[in-house]
Amino acid sequence: MTVRNGDHAFRQRWFEFLAPISRKWRIILGSSIWILFFGLWEAAVISGWVNTLLVPSPLQVINTLYELFAEQGFLMDVGISVARILGSFTVACAIAIPLGVLMGSFKTVESFVNPFVSAWRYLPAPAFIPILLMWFGTGELPKLALLFLGVIFFLITLIMDHTSQVRSELIETAMTLGGKRWQILWTVVVPAVLPNIVTSMRQMLAIAWTYLVIAEIIASTSGIGAMMMRARRFLNTDEIMAGILIIGVLGLAFDVMFRWLQRVLFPYLEQEGHA
Amino acid sequence: MNLSHAHGDVPTVTARRASTDEPKLRLESVGKSFHVPRGPAIEAIADVSFTTHENEVCVLLGPSGCGKSTVLRMVAGLEQPTSGNLTLDGQPILGPAQERGMVFQAYTSFDWLTVQQNVEYGMRLNHVPRAERRERASHFIELVGLHRFANTYPRHLSGGMKQRVAIARTLANQPSLLLMDEPFGALDAQTRWQMQELMLSIAEAANTTVLMVTHDIEEAIFLADRIEFMSRHPGTIREEIVPAFKQGRRLRRKEELIGLSGYDDLERHILQLMREQGGDSADH
Ligand SMILES: Nc1ncnc2c1ncn2[C@@H]1O[C@H](COP(=O)(O)OP(=O)(O)OP(=O)(O)O)[C@@H](O)[C@H]1O
Ligand SMILES: [Mg+2]
Repeated sequence: MTVRNGDHAFRQRWFEFLAPISRKWRIILGSSIWILFFGLWEAAVISGWVNTLLVPSPLQVINTLYELFAEQGFLMDVGISVARILGSFTVACAIAIPLGVLMGSFKTVESFVNPFVSAWRYLPAPAFIPILLMWFGTGELPKLALLFLGVIFFLITLIMDHTSQVRSELIETAMTLGGKRWQILWTVVVPAVLPNIVTSMRQMLAIAWTYLVIAEIIASTSGIGAMMMRARRFLNTDEIMAGILIIGVLGLAFDVMFRWLQRVLFPYLEQEGHA
Repeated sequence: MNLSHAHGDVPTVTARRASTDEPKLRLESVGKSFHVPRGPAIEAIADVSFTTHENEVCVLLGPSGCGKSTVLRMVAGLEQPTSGNLTLDGQPILGPAQERGMVFQAYTSFDWLTVQQNVEYGMRLNHVPRAERRERASHFIELVGLHRFANTYPRHLSGGMKQRVAIARTLANQPSLLLMDEPFGALDAQTRWQMQELMLSIAEAANTTVLMVTHDIEEAIFLADRIEFMSRHPGTIREEIVPAFKQGRRLRRKEELIGLSGYDDLERHILQLMREQGGDSADH
């Protein structure tokens, strides 16, 4: 990490306030922590520090993951889990986005809906599991309902807050240009808040994964969580860990997808100097 | 109220006024109080009366907090007066409308639209046909000197350029009264006088009546056909000043101001007015 300035090496140290880091070094440092993690794990298994029945080696987990997909139809479980997430999340967004935007735009809508929404926000969604099971049995409905309840109220609140923070000068400019209310809603408020809506969706999708796993562990015969609970009965720790791994990878994949979406939808936000 | 100082010996030239004597904009004893939760109502302005004539550049000048923005926002229809009447061309002002376009001090370019789309925006709201929209937008983008940036997003523009976009956007919408609240307040000195000169030439070219707020004395004298000087607590018109030394014509360049006899006197007079208001000007 040295740069030369003429004959003199410009001062450059490992720990420097406000100093940027090159892409190369970011990647090197970022991968080394994972290499370190898996290396220590593997070492612990090989040296016999840990009981391999409870902690299988990382290579074993990868191997199991392959077998799960190749021989035990795990893809089906993954597909079901992803479908549950997408299904309930789509419904939640379809309600939360219009409602949140209207609440953030018009005080009358906020005064009417917000007392209701903010009360529900303080109820943890898992509290509804027993009653959901009683009402809907063990089909898909209670799982979808739990995911829905887990994200909808937070999503509404986030979108409302972002909408009410749209700068008043932008709205007033449109008013003095002769804009009608609905025109302004569609051509100023919505485009101004859209990048923040996508960010909120990204954050809440991560929460949705949490509720999915809870739902599948508690009451399900299909999906990633259910597979892990099955594996527990047969002490297949490698399968449980494979499940954890796949949940992490899927979560990451969705996050990357959202970030890509953000770049495609909002090219005008692109930072200079950031490739 | 001593008006003779401002008028001097030179008779006021009124050539700019429309043939009829009916003013474009009229404020009659306008007052505004703000209600704050758990506190007494704040009387921001009281008994403000003045008129602005067709094609005139009228400047609201005064110390910070005297209510200049409040007056302008009421003319824009963004704020409701507590008392009094505001009329434009004889019609009462009941809310914001296309005929009264406003340029704010803060940047108001729409980040998600290019410069061209920003300038076309007002016309799109008013359903101007696409071809005419294009043409008018290009004309005003050219006027403010941004034709090379027509397809650029505002985040790549400097502060002065963003403000030019806002001005072009408002003018392209063809308001009959252009309202500006310290539009150049955030700009550096050089960009500032360039924008002032630009504004004068555009107001001339587009035949627009302008009502503008500033607390910069030099800016007021340079731009104004008429200055409404406001005092505070509560805000009201302290004195109406016609910079008679300009003899009713507008200056094209800032430096022309310096040589003109009468300029120094007027600046001194306004400085004295400001100082009278002073006292608590520490909050400026
Ligand atoms: N929304 C509001 N609520 C309460 N008080 C307000 C509001 N807007 C303005 N005021 C008060 O009205 C008075 C005039 O404010 P205004 O912004 O019009 O002054 P100004 O002359 O534009 O000042 P500046 O030169 O600093 O912009 C101030 O005392 C201010 O506190
Ligand atoms: Mg102001």
